[in-house]
Amino acid sequence: MPDEPVSTLSDVTRTYGGVPVLDSISLAIDPGVTAVIGPNGSGKSTLLRLLVGATEPTTGEVRHPGATGPKPIGYLPQRVPFRDGFTARETLAFYARLVGGDPDAALEQVGLADAGDRRVEALSGGMRRLLGIAQAVLGDPTLVALDEPASGLDPGMRERAFRAAAERADRDTAVVVSSHALDLVDDHADRVVLLRRGGVAVAGPLDRLLDDHAVDDVSGLYRAVTAAEERTGAGRSDEEGGNGDGDAESDEEERDGGDTKPDVHVTGVSER
Amino acid sequence: MTGPLTGVETVFRRELATVVRTPGYGVLAVGLLAAVGGLLAAGGGGATGFVPAIVDLLLPTEALVPLAAVVLGYRSLLADGASGELAVIRTYPVRVGEYVAGVLLARTVALVGVVGAPYAAVGVGVWLTAAPDTGIFATHTGIDSPLLYLRFLAFVLLLGAAYVSLAAAVSALAANRRSAIALGVLALVAGVLGGDLLLLRSLGAGASPATIPGSLALTPNGAFRGLVFEHVIGVAFAPEGEFIATGRAVGSLVGWTLLGAVVAGTALAYGSQVDAAIERVRSGIGD
Repeated sequence: MPDEPVSTLSDVTRTYGGVPVLDSISLAIDPGVTAVIGPNGSGKSTLLRLLVGATEPTTGEVRHPGATGPKPIGYLPQRVPFRDGFTARETLAFYARLVGGDPDAALEQVGLADAGDRRVEALSGGMRRLLGIAQAVLGDPTLVALDEPASGLDPGMRERAFRAAAERADRDTAVVVSSHALDLVDDHADRVVLLRRGGVAVAGPLDRLLDDHAVDDVSGLYRAVTAAEERTGAGRSDEEGGNGDGDAESDEEERDGGDTKPDVHVTGVSER
Repeated sequence: MTGPLTGVETVFRRELATVVRTPGYGVLAVGLLAAVGGLLAAGGGGATGFVPAIVDLLLPTEALVPLAAVVLGYRSLLADGASGELAVIRTYPVRVGEYVAGVLLARTVALVGVVGAPYAAVGVGVWLTAAPDTGIFATHTGIDSPLLYLRFLAFVLLLGAAYVSLAAAVSALAANRRSAIALGVLALVAGVLGGDLLLLRSLGAGASPATIPGSLALTPNGAFRGLVFEHVIGVAFAPEGEFIATGRAVGSLVGWTLLGAVVAGTALAYGSQVDAAIERVRSGIGD
């Protein structure tokens, strides 16, 4: 694969009711695992929806120069949306048929081979998420966007869900994961995008960000960036990426049906 | 790997399985059978023959079939949109048109089961019980016949298909279940009563009665009623009916069906762009 990114967002703004949830975001998504982190309402779910085309930007442009194949994009929304009344195998069979995939192999891949005959509504939250991940990676998409794949799961299941996602990433495939599970981001992410108040506070390779901010892990990075921004007032972007002019806030998680895990401190919401 | 037919077929199978596994639609079919059978028993036409039975059923059918069709269709396209699954489906190589076609075809097949089966059962009941003999397959006017009932059944399904499609359009435009119900009721009332009221108004305003056969065909209910008079009741009782322009009436029912499908597809295909355009206006960013 050439050096071009899998996807790019150029000066993307998304508003709801005239209020910006994301404000002039510019990002390039490269192969590997990119973790999108940030407080509730910072725009993570909206960013992923924009990335996969589920939401149109109010202004700006989303392009996928490196996303190829019959199904270039795979997507798992924050709330796993499968229809009740169908078994896990039937659910995957529906999607697999559209891309010529094998539902049993997909179930096997995420460790749900034994749960194939269970109805979706009878699956635990974690198993539904794993089923969602299996769906998202069907057809070998070049860009996989997973919104909170570890949300609400027990420690073992969180690790399993994240690992299943991260295993997809290679030199051609980009996996974008939004998450509050910073320990798992530490373990699996190649790059981090930290959103705050609708803007990109920092973005870049994880190792470089840790070095730049003289911290040991993503939790430290998160605290350092948010503390620095609180000291300097309303969020101003640093030199890493995006403008993050951050005077916008949203109830994005609620809008997108969020059930976010309170692993990180939820900062206050400022008035515009 | 996959083609347009694969997309339509895959969506169709899933949608049909959803309908089959939803007990409410079975209850709807049983309720419709009870209603149609009850109306026939109360009216007494069923004991005499097919055409008297159809005369008894014609008016209630104009309300019952649209109602059943709207119930079948009002959530058909909303369900995936509201749950978020449509955003997932759209990451697959399935065009909006294929998705809408698959859903609508499945709901139309479901209509045959939910509406067609009760009416067929009632027809069989009339055949078995009516006197005098109704087993004559008439090819001439003036004779009651099961073939006339089959024609009636075909027109019933055409009417239902139009309403299923219109209800699907409503479901694509609705933001949530509540608004889908409200829009569905509105479409039902407008369809069942609106056409006749407009026709009466135009006659009251001085339109010539000679325009009735043409005007009647424009609405689904008018087209259905006209076709039943022209090709079912009129065949048995009148030498040459001129109740409606047949081609125009059939075209109207097919047209309403296609209109619903096109509106549904357009709403799903361009809904998010329209939403973004509205946001541009709201936030004062756009021109």
